[in-house]
Amino acid sequence: MTAARHEYEAQIDRIDWAKSLILFGMGVYLTLLMLTGNLDNYINLRFAWLVVVGALLFFLLGLVNLHSCLRPQAKAHSHQHYQISWDIILVLAFPLLLAILIPSRALGVEAVNGGVSLSPVGVSSVTRSPLDRNILDWLREFDRAATPAQFNGSPVDVIGFVYREPLHPDDGFMIARFTLSCCVADAFPIGMPVMAAGEYEAGEWLRVQGQLKAMAFGAEFLPVVLAEAVERVDEPRQPYLYP
Amino acid sequence: MQLAGQQSNRLIGSTDRLKLIGLLLLAALLLAAIGYQASISGRDASLVMSVFATRFLGIFVEAAPFLLLGSITSGLIETFVKSDDIMRILPRNRLGAALGGAFLGLVFPVCECGVVPVARRLFSKGTPVSLGVAFLLAAPFMNPIVFASTFIAFGFGPVFIGRIIVTILVAVIVGVVLGSFAKPAAALKPIALGGGHDDHAHCEGETPSTRARLLDALGIAADEFFEMGRFLIFGSILAALMQTLIAQESLLALGTGPVFSVLFMQILAYVLSVCSTVDSFLALAFVNSFTTGAIVSFLSFGPMVDIKSTLMFTGVFRRRIVLYLILLPFVMNLLAGALINLMLGYA
Repeated sequence: MTAARHEYEAQIDRIDWAKSLILFGMGVYLTLLMLTGNLDNYINLRFAWLVVVGALLFFLLGLVNLHSCLRPQAKAHSHQHYQISWDIILVLAFPLLLAILIPSRALGVEAVNGGVSLSPVGVSSVTRSPLDRNILDWLREFDRAATPAQFNGSPVDVIGFVYREPLHPDDGFMIARFTLSCCVADAFPIGMPVMAAGEYEAGEWLRVQGQLKAMAFGAEFLPVVLAEAVERVDEPRQPYLYP
Repeated sequence: MQLAGQQSNRLIGSTDRLKLIGLLLLAALLLAAIGYQASISGRDASLVMSVFATRFLGIFVEAAPFLLLGSITSGLIETFVKSDDIMRILPRNRLGAALGGAFLGLVFPVCECGVVPVARRLFSKGTPVSLGVAFLLAAPFMNPIVFASTFIAFGFGPVFIGRIIVTILVAVIVGVVLGSFAKPAAALKPIALGGGHDDHAHCEGETPSTRARLLDALGIAADEFFEMGRFLIFGSILAALMQTLIAQESLLALGTGPVFSVLFMQILAYVLSVCSTVDSFLALAFVNSFTTGAIVSFLSFGPMVDIKSTLMFTGVFRRRIVLYLILLPFVMNLLAGALINLMLGYA
């Protein structure tokens, strides 16, 4: 055996260990996402089972790979399909690096790009009583209604983050949430207008209780929440609304 | 020994070092772009970075299980399936063969990376050109795994149905057209005409145990995951960056033209080269700003042709045929996307 061949095999060996490390690392990452509840920040929990499947498959492939690292004779038969090189290892390490270096956060006001929508996402025929409605439920009700005035006097109790635009009136802002159908790739901000005295910063999470009244807000005429009680709250465990 | 020396040079050689430097430069660019965006919008750079990370990891977490399933299927096919068995039951007349080819993915669930080697194996067994081409174009979408990921991303709506119809139509038509004009000897490179490699379980003449083949299949699956994973990661980085850095109004300007939006998304699909098992999740990033026809064309054209499959095509087909294999699907998907936009009333 020449030195070159030794060096070649040592390289392959090191790359194999790196592959095992990444496969296990991803399995551990997905598992931690589920255990810490941070998974809520990324996908619609309807698809949490997919992440369970993913974690199991990562561990399975990791084990098989480790097996061939520890028992080189098992590798003698296997065909090198592709030879994975270090640049590929580096690219695959990127998601893990990002996950380790940057604390997990849900999308908030700073992720709003191009304004908060006043239109609902998706359709649903479920009707909840007014005090149980979230922002998405309300927008659906508004969408179905013949006139904005028909909600005058309805009690409202919603949670969301503060979103402001220059066009908004002095004591006005929008109480907003991101909706999520599948994962954050399709996250879409929706909100309803609120009139409330007091200093509330953009991005703050609030619970707003009050009554609806149809009035002009910015350039539109629509049902606006006249706040009676505003309470600062923590970001909900499930930060997004699922259409 | 000479060979081993060359391989060793290839592994740690100058091209690799160049690639590593290229990757580091890209990472630096990424940080610079995020810093720049933070400075012009007056936001905290760490906040912009965290929005980017959330968007990127969201796509990755949702897509990774599908990429794993696809890789494992590909490994299993490679080690366990003999193409002869399938060949025997398929029709031989041109249209029938093309139709059969378009649906063959349902029993041969391969994504666009797995499809070229399988198609090549089919050709070497004497498959008609129409069948092989239709299979090549349709199979990356027409298989249970990609149905599942498309369904999870879009539900049973216009995108899902449009993707099925457009994929089958384009695959069958291109299959029939190329099958009519090109004899196998004129379409294929000699290496794909037979006498090439046979199935996987072959080397020592004896059949290895099921356990050994299973381990082999999973080993191949891991390699496939790494090989394809990088396209998923590059694609997700680009999609997440775009959503984080580019203002919605600018995207809408690109995304609302009934024809231009389709053109833009097809070129994007070609460049991104993302695996068909996960492209639905990337397409989601464009749903709020692009026309439905553009989304459908992104999803039906992307699995047929992209940078990496073009490279693989050149290993099977003669150059002129490769050109047709890119241009015909491109034009037909463009037409289909524009037609869908017309029907859905995008002016």
